[in-house]
Amino acid sequence: MINRSLLRAGVISGALALWAGNAPASAGEYSLTVDRVTIDTGDFTRKGIGYNGASPGPVLRFKEGEDVVINVTNNLSEQTSIHWHGLILPYEQDGVPGISYPGIAPGETFTYRFPIVQSGTYWFHSHSPFQEPDGAYGAIVIEPKKREPFRFDREYVVQLTDAHPHPGKRIMRNLKMMPDYYNRKQRTLGDFFRDAQQGGFGPALSDRLDWGEMRMMPNDIEDLQGFTPLINGKSPQQNWTGLFKPGERVRLRFINSAAMTYFDIRIPGLKMTVVQSDGNNVQPVTVDEFRIAVAETYDVIVQPKEDKAFLIYAESMGRTAFASATLAPREGEKTDIPVLRKDPLLTMADMGMAHGDHAGMNHGAMEQAAPPTHTMPDGAVMQGDAHAGHAMPATMDHSMHGAAPAADPFYAAGSGLTPSAADGGRFLSYADLKAQKPLYEHREATREIELRLTGNMERYIWSINGVKYKDAEPLKLQYGERVRFKFVNETMMTHPMHLHGMWSILDNGNGKWNPVKHVISVNPGTTVYMETEVDAPGQWAFHCHLAYHADSGMFRKVVVEGGPSAEAASPARGS
Amino acid sequence: MNVKIFIQATCSIAFSAIIGATSSTAMADAGHSTAKLIGQPGKVADATRTVEVTMYDNYYEPENLTIKEGETVRFVVRNAGGFVHEFNIASPDMHKAHGPEMMMMLEHGVLEPDRINWDAAKKMQASMGHGMHNDPNSVLLEPGKTGEIIWTFTGRATLEFACNVPGHYEAGMVGQVKLTD
Repeated sequence: MINRSLLRAGVISGALALWAGNAPASAGEYSLTVDRVTIDTGDFTRKGIGYNGASPGPVLRFKEGEDVVINVTNNLSEQTSIHWHGLILPYEQDGVPGISYPGIAPGETFTYRFPIVQSGTYWFHSHSPFQEPDGAYGAIVIEPKKREPFRFDREYVVQLTDAHPHPGKRIMRNLKMMPDYYNRKQRTLGDFFRDAQQGGFGPALSDRLDWGEMRMMPNDIEDLQGFTPLINGKSPQQNWTGLFKPGERVRLRFINSAAMTYFDIRIPGLKMTVVQSDGNNVQPVTVDEFRIAVAETYDVIVQPKEDKAFLIYAESMGRTAFASATLAPREGEKTDIPVLRKDPLLTMADMGMAHGDHAGMNHGAMEQAAPPTHTMPDGAVMQGDAHAGHAMPATMDHSMHGAAPAADPFYAAGSGLTPSAADGGRFLSYADLKAQKPLYEHREATREIELRLTGNMERYIWSINGVKYKDAEPLKLQYGERVRFKFVNETMMTHPMHLHGMWSILDNGNGKWNPVKHVISVNPGTTVYMETEVDAPGQWAFHCHLAYHADSGMFRKVVVEGGPSAEAASPARGS
Repeated sequence: MNVKIFIQATCSIAFSAIIGATSSTAMADAGHSTAKLIGQPGKVADATRTVEVTMYDNYYEPENLTIKEGETVRFVVRNAGGFVHEFNIASPDMHKAHGPEMMMMLEHGVLEPDRINWDAAKKMQASMGHGMHNDPNSVLLEPGKTGEIIWTFTGRATLEFACNVPGHYEAGMVGQVKLTD
């Protein structure tokens, strides 16, 4: 057995990355300890949880075809677990306490054993409540057997998170007590009078009443504010730096390990060619900026030709904070950091009100028209300008002048969240993602399951079909079927839905090229479809990956019935 | 701008005005004609050798080429990948200028991931006056197809062979042509 030391390797050479594996299946043995660690963001220092003495934990580097043995020792005084996010493996190895196994008790060493049957960028994290927000996460890089369909000279993991000065448990308590506890952008009476002045008292008042009825606030994009975004554990002032030689192709493996925060990522002065999403290669698409949902990964290739520093800039979707890091020819070189764009405001479209009642919403996100007016449930038609005061999010300033970019079909028409590239150019849409090599033959789904994403913001309860996890029956799937999941987002938050153990094929209208993902982000007021080939026996977790949404009930257990027995399907069982 | 005739060829096709649109840049840089910079179409009789190039998703074999200055080479290019690919010999600037034209083809539905949509090409030709046609320095091939280029490397420009299907060049589907004495 090889006992590899797990270092957070800064860079590996392109030659290694292009490793062609004719070697026989190897077995690698790895060790991780789960430890209390100190997290120092520069803004604050706190106790948290890490792996091998640090947060983030190490980058685990596997090879496709390898059988891995991972010894995980719990040095905490509470139960822990590790979930291998996006990996296809026997369900007992999936690391979800109460579904895959009982978890890892304090002082216990649990040995995971599973074959590596895929390649790409993934990550791992604790699946025990509030540990991942406290720092329990790391990256996984799997080298493919075959040559990559792209070329690069060096590569870096760029792992984002939203480190908060409060421990996860306390955040949950505060949110339960007061859902807007962490919303530092409350709209004030002053805002109301400004709206009334601009749009008239009537519209302003009726607008306020609408928002009140939804128990939401238009600036409620981030449940949780007051965090310091980190890249590879470094805050903007600590400035993680990746080196390059001008002209080199650099592969950046972006992983969003944040508990709650979506990021809009750009590198001013460089185009980014997206070549992979959620570990699966996509047909390369060159963009200026992209949004990464919580728990997603995107691999991009950049080619800095100039001998100067470039900034990796990641604004939180609600524009309350940013992460940044540097690509530089030499250590210590920096570049200017732009100011945050103005925070967007949710609109009536994000309330789902642009669609009338939900019964009429059996059309996909792809089919949404762009009505210039909003029809309220009572039949009243609101003109666009009735929203004066909040319907003009800052992000739309660019698109309102000059040529408007084609509307992104994955946002409700008129949504305040619709992104546009800060410096002009192309902003990646889900619609742009096409599988490089589809994993499954395209076929008609055998069954459709509707999952309404629901919640009561006032009580901070998040649920599916109005039922929270504790009160819900498991979702039963049959081995061999292809299920079409219909996500109807009835809340005003964006939900990154994550099904364990089986792939999520996003229906983005590209047919046989529909991309294969492990997280499907569903924006407010939209309906999104994904399909799953039910090919993994056992029981699995299926949940919103926003930590406090999952922990408050937007979660289901999935049971796959039939098929090969779990015994037969898992040649390498854990201890 | 070179106005070219619309030809529906099975293999050797490219987008209109590749040379025309880009030659001014190249000329401004070097004060020579593009043809002289990048070389010129050759004759079979002059070819000193045949080089087989295989296109995969999304890379070439071989990855780079070494050619004697003045040599005429016959390239037999086979698309062994699952996507449409191009083999185009040009300067980096010319590739850069060609990219947006390929993007236009993509946006008009002419360039599908795994095939060339000839109906869409005709519509685009009719509506915009641009279409598909032969170009001596490039071949655009559907999966499984083979094409040929005969090229005389008389130029002194920095040359690359590249695929300008949107995203492919950026992802690394480009190789160097090293010219030797």
